[in-house]
Amino acid sequence: MTSTVSAPTDQDPTPVDHRDPQLRLRTLFDTGTLRLLVPRDSSGVLAGRGEIDGMPAIGFATDGTTMGGAMGYEGCRHIVDAIDTAVRERVPVLGLWHAGGARIPEGVASLDAVGQVFAAMVRASGRVPQISVVLGPAAGGAAYGPALTDIVIMAGDGRIFVTGPEVVRSVTGEQVDMERLGGPEAHGRRSGVVHVTTKDDESALTTARELAALLGRQGRMSPDDVTDGTDLGALLPPQSNRAYDVKPLVRDLLDAPRSGSGGAGGGSVELHAKWAPNVVTTLGRLAGRTVGVIANNPLRLGGCLDAASAEKAARFVRMCDALGVPLVVLVDVPGYLPGLGQEWDGVVRRGAKLLHAFAEAVVPRVTLVTRKAYGGAYIAMNSRALGATTVFAWPHAEVAVMGASAAVNILYRKKLAAAPAEEREAVRAALIEEQTRVAGGVNRALEIGVVDEVIGPDRTRRRLAEAIAAAPAARGAHGNIPL
Amino acid sequence: MAEEIKAEMVANVWKVVASVGDQVADGDTLVILESMKMEIPVIAESEGTLTQLAVNEGDVVQEGDLIAVIE
Repeated sequence: MTSTVSAPTDQDPTPVDHRDPQLRLRTLFDTGTLRLLVPRDSSGVLAGRGEIDGMPAIGFATDGTTMGGAMGYEGCRHIVDAIDTAVRERVPVLGLWHAGGARIPEGVASLDAVGQVFAAMVRASGRVPQISVVLGPAAGGAAYGPALTDIVIMAGDGRIFVTGPEVVRSVTGEQVDMERLGGPEAHGRRSGVVHVTTKDDESALTTARELAALLGRQGRMSPDDVTDGTDLGALLPPQSNRAYDVKPLVRDLLDAPRSGSGGAGGGSVELHAKWAPNVVTTLGRLAGRTVGVIANNPLRLGGCLDAASAEKAARFVRMCDALGVPLVVLVDVPGYLPGLGQEWDGVVRRGAKLLHAFAEAVVPRVTLVTRKAYGGAYIAMNSRALGATTVFAWPHAEVAVMGASAAVNILYRKKLAAAPAEEREAVRAALIEEQTRVAGGVNRALEIGVVDEVIGPDRTRRRLAEAIAAAPAARGAHGNIPL
Repeated sequence: MAEEIKAEMVANVWKVVASVGDQVADGDTLVILESMKMEIPVIAESEGTLTQLAVNEGDVVQEGDLIAVIE
């Protein structure tokens, strides 16, 4: 696509190519704040500093108008310098990608330079927020640049792939176009490479601003400012086996967005919304401070954890821990998804990542069991044993190895089999009632201290904020490997 | 392009909500499964016409079994 748009702040009426890196950086930053780090040259990369809602940040953009944005030695030096500058100044760094890979005429020197960009990203990992916005093709080496950063946003024309359609065709004979190979659907839903997909460049850059503000200026938590009283419990269905979408609950738990601050107004951004949707990971604000929310979503797979969702949550936990973002964990989970597919997919190995991520995290992290927490998934969802700061539960929550009826079928199999057929259901019902009384609900969990406090849904925002504010602020000393 | 919707887990088919020929939107519930003591809606992930429903109420589906086709 080569449509043209006018640069918003230029006096010069000449139309500017929408791929122009200076135009893109200018759109990213607050009006009039872009200052180039080095004068524009033929390197194919432009880097500068600017402000996002008044917060200093560093940005770089590959030049899609020159050799398709291919990366050479000089351009890669600019990117490395930009990242190093951001680390030195402790500000977020945002990369705008439109690059066909390494510059072929430069040979192995360009490969070495691209490798140095990767190394700079890993040095910066976990120290400053790194956000990538893929606006055009990001192929070959340029695919791994975004993939190494904390968050990848893809606009409608963004494409990420290691090898393009022509190579795929010549090697395997497979006919596939760029969009199917590496477009928003491929990476937003299938591969999990991309965290946020947007319809156009403008909304991609707006989302990048929101995320940079959430991660770069996290704010202070003020529990006294929390307006409670919304009955969050009304967002759950009355029947305990009924599915529901957890997203309205996440939305209402977080602060309502401020209006009119140019896309960096403290709204919330869901990451990986379509990939592994049975767990929801959202950055937003609670009592004025940035938090990361992890929530089981019963609408998808009954809210079960599986290999992909455990991996998604684990990466989110580690990112938040490295960047000092406290965690709120909303638990409504029937267990791990059973089945051959899951076992062969590595649910044990990938599920272990979530256990490791939570147990290792030092940021304040509070858990709320809204409805149920069963089995191994109970442990994985930031349980007391893994070091949760505080574990809350709503009054009707159930914390158990499994639901009462399933437990009775296992524990009393012989007794049930021995009962006369006409009495069997009555015996079963009595056993379930007894099992619920002894092992169900939340009382046993309270007794042994794995749940700290039962709270009403209408006091939840306030209590979560107080628990986070009371915990010592800390930040994990590790990078954010793209798990 | 046809979108095949497959079972993501072993489950019983509890309710068939949509019918062949229906216009469906992204997010619409097509079928409700039952597994893990939970009702699990099977949701359209694209919009189009429901051209095939491969399950009946009471069926048991295995992971990967075809449930519906949207075109």
